Parts: sequence; C-alpha cells; structure tokens
Amino acid sequence: MASHGIPRVSGTLVDKSEQAKEKERRQIERYKAAEAEVIDRIRVKDYSATTLQATSTLLAQNPEYYTIWNHRRLVLQDAIAKEPTRTQPDDDIDAADLTAARLANQTPAQHQIALLLTEDLAFLLPLLKQYPKCYWIWNHRAWLLATATQHLPTSSAVTLWQGEMGLVTKMLGMDSRNFHGWGYRRTAVAALEGLSGGDVSLVEPEFEYTTKMIRANLSNFSAWHNRGRLIPRLLVERQASSEDRRKLFDAEFELITTALYTDPYDQSLWFYHQYLMSTLDTGNKHSVSILEPCTHGDRVRYLEQEIESIREMLDGAEDCKYIYQALLEYSMRYLEMEVEAGNQKVTTAERKGWLEELRKIDPLREGRWNDLESKMKL
Amino acid sequence: MSLAAGPGRGGGGGAQGQLPDEMKVVVEKHVAYIQSLDTRREELEYHLTEHLRISGIYWGLTALHLLGHPDALPRDGVLDFLFSCLHADGGFGAAPGHDPHMLYTVSSVQILAMVDGFDELEKRMKDGKLKVAKYIAGLQQPNGTFAGDEWGETDTRFLYCALNALSLLGFLPSQQADQPPLIDVPAATAYVKACQNFDGGFGTEPGAESHSGQVFTCCGALSITGELDSYLGEEGKDRLGAWLSERQLPSGGLNGRPEKLVDVCYSWWVMSSMAMIGRLHWIDKAKLTAFILQCQDPEEGGFADRPGDMVDVFHTVFGLAGLSLLGHPGLVEVDPA
Ligand SMILES: [Zn+2]
Repeated sequence: MASHGIPRVSGTLVDKSEQAKEKERRQIERYKAAEAEVIDRIRVKDYSATTLQATSTLLAQNPEYYTIWNHRRLVLQDAIAKEPTRTQPDDDIDAADLTAARLANQTPAQHQIALLLTEDLAFLLPLLKQYPKCYWIWNHRAWLLATATQHLPTSSAVTLWQGEMGLVTKMLGMDSRNFHGWGYRRTAVAALEGLSGGDVSLVEPEFEYTTKMIRANLSNFSAWHNRGRLIPRLLVERQASSEDRRKLFDAEFELITTALYTDPYDQSLWFYHQYLMSTLDTGNKHSVSILEPCTHGDRVRYLEQEIESIREMLDGAEDCKYIYQALLEYSMRYLEMEVEAGNQKVTTAERKGWLEELRKIDPLREGRWNDLESKMKL
Repeated sequence: MSLAAGPGRGGGGGAQGQLPDEMKVVVEKHVAYIQSLDTRREELEYHLTEHLRISGIYWGLTALHLLGHPDALPRDGVLDFLFSCLHADGGFGAAPGHDPHMLYTVSSVQILAMVDGFDELEKRMKDGKLKVAKYIAGLQQPNGTFAGDEWGETDTRFLYCALNALSLLGFLPSQQADQPPLIDVPAATAYVKACQNFDGGFGTEPGAESHSGQVFTCCGALSITGELDSYLGEEGKDRLGAWLSERQLPSGGLNGRPEKLVDVCYSWWVMSSMAMIGRLHWIDKAKLTAFILQCQDPEEGGFADRPGDMVDVFHTVFGLAGLSLLGHPGLVEVDPA
C-alpha cells in the first residue's frame, strides 16, 4: 500500500497465468491460516510457547502486522510474570543453567527471563537485516531491552545493551544514514549511561565514532549531526578551558574545510559548516556554544576568517552554488556586527556579484534569491 | 492534511483542457484505480497490507475528494467498515480485529470529518466523540509527547496526529474553554520545540537529525496550537525555509534529508511545510509539478514514489495533494496543515 523503489512492470494488472493465480491463492490460504492460528490462540488467552512460535511464523512473513507484535508481547509478559513464582528450581531448569545464573548474579527466575529475552532478540536479527526500516521491529526490540532493564540485575542489562551497541554499529555500517539506527544508537548510549548511575560517559567514544564514520564517508550528514550534538557535552566533561574550547573549534573548522575542498558540492558538509557558524550566532535559538567566552571580537574574527577561506574555495569551483550561499549568508551576519566601514572585508559590489552568480547557477530557488536580495538591501 | 473549507477550484478536470497531455492529471483513471483497491482480494499483497486498511481508505477518500469525485466510494460502506474497527476504549484499529492505535484512530477521525460522519459516531457509541478524544488524550506522556498505543512507542508523528484529531473532534482545550483540559498543550508544544535543530528543521525526538516528515508534523502541531508564526519568527522561517528549499533536486522532485533520493511523498511534506511558513515560492513549482506528473501512471492510474516505479494509494494521495497545493488545474484545494 506504500511501496518505495519498486519498478513498475508495464501494466500492473497484467493477466497472470492460471498457474500463477493458483500459487497466489495457496499463499493467501497459508497466510490466512497462520493469522487465524495466532488470533484464535490469543482469543482464548493461550500464552504458550506454541503461540509464541505461531507469532514468529506470521511476523517473519509480515513484520508490519503491529497487532501480532502486541500479541507476542502478551505471551512474553505472561511467561515473565510466571517466573518469580517459581521459588524452587524445578525440572525445567538444568544444572548448567543454575550455574550460569549464579555466575551472572541472577536468580533462577531472572536467568529464565534473560534466556527468553535473548532468544527474542535473536529472532529479530534476520528480520532487521531484511527490513531495516520497519518501525515495528525496532519498536519491539526497544521493548525487549526496556523489559530486560526492568527485570534483570543491572550487570545483565548492561551486557544486553552492549550487544545492542554492537548490532547498531553493524547496521550503520551497512546503511550509514539509517534513521532508526541513529535513533536507536542514541537510545542505547543513554541506557548504558543511565544504568551506570552516572559513572560511565560514552561521549568520548561516540565522538570518536562520528569521526570514524565521517572518514569512511564524508557525505554522512547523520554522523555530522550527531557530532555537533555531542560537542557541548564533550567540552563540559573534558572540563575544557577557554583555550581548549578554541582549539577544538579551530580543529573542527580545519576538518570541515578539508572536507569541503574534497567535495564542495556536498550539502551535508555545508550544513556542518553552518552548525559551527551557528555557535557564533546569538539570534539562533537552537545554536549551542563552543567558545566560552565568545566575545564580539571573536565573532568578527571568525566570520572574517571563514569568509576569506570560503572565498578561496571559489578557485576551480566557480559553479558551486553552496559557496555563494555561504558567502552571502556569512557576510550578511558579518555586516550586522558593526565593523567600521573602512575595515570591512566585504564590499557591496562583491555581494552583488555573488548573488548574480547564484541566480545563474541555481534558478530553482529564484524566489529565495529575490527575497534574499531585499533582505540584504543591496 | 485536510480539504479547505468552501468551494474548491472545481474538480473533474474541466479546466485541464488547455494543457499538453503530459501535464494532465488522468482523473478518471485515478478514480478507477482507487475504486479497484478493495476488489483485489485475490492478491497476496491485499492481505499483507491489512494492517494499513483504515489509513488506505483515508488516503483513497482524500484522493477522491481532491479529484472532485467524493462519492466514488460509498459512504455507508466506508462508515460500516470504520465502525467495525472501533474498540470500546474509543480507539480504532487498522481493520476489524486489529488492536487500537493512534495512527488508525486519527485516520478514522479524519474520515469521519471528511464524510460528515460524527453524528453517526454518536449514534453507534454513546458519547463517541468524547470517548475517542479520551483515548487519544490518554496516550499523552508526562513529557508532553504522545505514544502510539499502550505499548509506548513515542514519536512527534503521534503528537501531531493527536492534536489534529482532537481539533477535528472539537476537544482541544481551546475549543472546550469551560471544561478541564483533556491534554497538556504547553507540555506538547514544549516537546516539539525541543526537537528543533540549529538548521531550523525538526527531528523525531530531541537530539535527532532534521527530517522533512518531522518538519511537517512539528510545524503542523505548532500551527494547530496557533504558535507557529510567533515561535519561528521571520529569522526562524528563513532558516527552516532555506533547509526545506534545498530539498529540491535538479529533477524537480524533493527529498527528505540532505543527500537522499527524491520521492513524491516527501514532496508533500516539504511543500506543505513551506506553505505553512509562507516560503512555498522558494522552490521551482513548475519543475516540481512536472516531476509529480512523471510519477503518474497514465495507463492504469495512481502515482508512484519516483517516475517508472510501482504506484500505490499512499503516493497517489500525496501526489494529488501536492499538485493541488501547487495550484494545478482540475483539483480541489487542500489545506497544508
Ligand atoms: Zn515515499
């Protein structure tokens, strides 16, 4: 009902052969039978292992069927609720399990819950690989982890969440822009930090991770975005002096400038440059601060430095619209800084020229350039 | 998305007469395509998408309204199906036997609003409107956001859905000034604002990357509460408008995030957000119109995500809504929020 990237075969309603129709009829029958099996069992509150298996069969075929995920959770909840009532180890739990439980600092009941949840996490793996953008799979995974955190000793929950970090690293290795992946990564980081009671911070390794991802593929805005989000906390945790802060700021400019020289036509990079520049912009409600203190002189100096540096990028990339956009945007902010007329590093003629180029290269956004012209009062 | 009040620009395609063929919306074929959707029970895909059925009906019905054929799906049949998905707690599932969820409850409320069916709801369930409103309100979390259902997944999509449905039901606190509020509006808008990024865009949760789908839901939410203009201000609109306008690629289509592929559904989210902040003139409307029309299947009806791909009802409604917002002749007007 909502498909992406599936080529249209000429005439979607092509006549199928009798054989194909028969095959499809049988598939539908099998699917409806698998569905009925789950629904009938849940209706009579049969929360057995057989019901769990029935939901697995159906979900493997259709992971978008959210009601079946709900049914699966009812079965799991029921199994979890029964565990603590089992005071004596019984026949179901063998000696090896008991030893494992003791080693993991778990009660026998907790050990059984851990096994159950781990098994379910494993069931999701091939599904996630096949449907990496399916909300309901990520949703169920998050529920399993939240349930584990609630019922298991902290050390066991930490082990599980560490496994999730490994998984999400693998997933982002395959699709470095996966939205769910990055969101889940932030969740896992927050969970691990939370479980440590504030003793553990993952800011440094996460910052490193964005560096690694950017090195692998400059165009990964998801990584640049996360990097920008981490920097304020990183500086606080490093107890950075104003000198340290300036060093980091300069290093980030160097990183992004090198990247921009590699590919000035990549939007992702320009947005990160904008992010750095936004930290100097007192008018942006959602900018963070990197320099502390950040004086009027600092703002003027960095604006001049970046305008100069971007101006040099034009050499050999005269057809790159982002360069002109950046020059116009930053020079507008620069001229609002009340720099004495005689010392201004940008002339009106120059700004007019940039705007003219921009109009030529990027006619799609002509309306925006018209508005920009009036805003700049050229 | 809702259809603008008052008379639209006609519909039925009469005004398209002057256009070259490739610029024409094949109205009759789209109508037939949508009507055919519920007759495809011999296809496995029909059964695999049952978890979307109510939304599918909402998309189909909206498309028909945009095409000027609002009666092409029988109202009684739609209402009967809708009420067969209603649960005692006031929530709607996607199909009979499916669990209640925010997404399908909102689609149901939107359908009821479109077919003028709230009286029917009251007849079938005592205090039905209030019950549905309470189901939605009950999903609000202490931090202001909304969960999709009792299992707790939260997302700014659900927050927008909740405000949209409550406003259609007439149960927003501002619409019920003499009653205790059903939801905490200030907490909801505070959450939306916390999802905004330095680039002017919004993400699924605080800290998440800007995404045009979330820009739409967050702008829509602030627009419903009447805060969009005052919150963003001209600078904020310029910043967000710039980010949105960069979604247009040389093909004329729009993508959802930097360096991603164009898609008809993103066209809608980006474009309607731009309309809400008065920046729709920052992209090339003629090129976007041409792109959306290239995604149309002129033989069998329907729109796809990209030219040459398989059509579906989801991209069909967003394609048509996009064309309507672009002022394409022959379509009924649409309200961006
Ligand atoms: Zn799409």
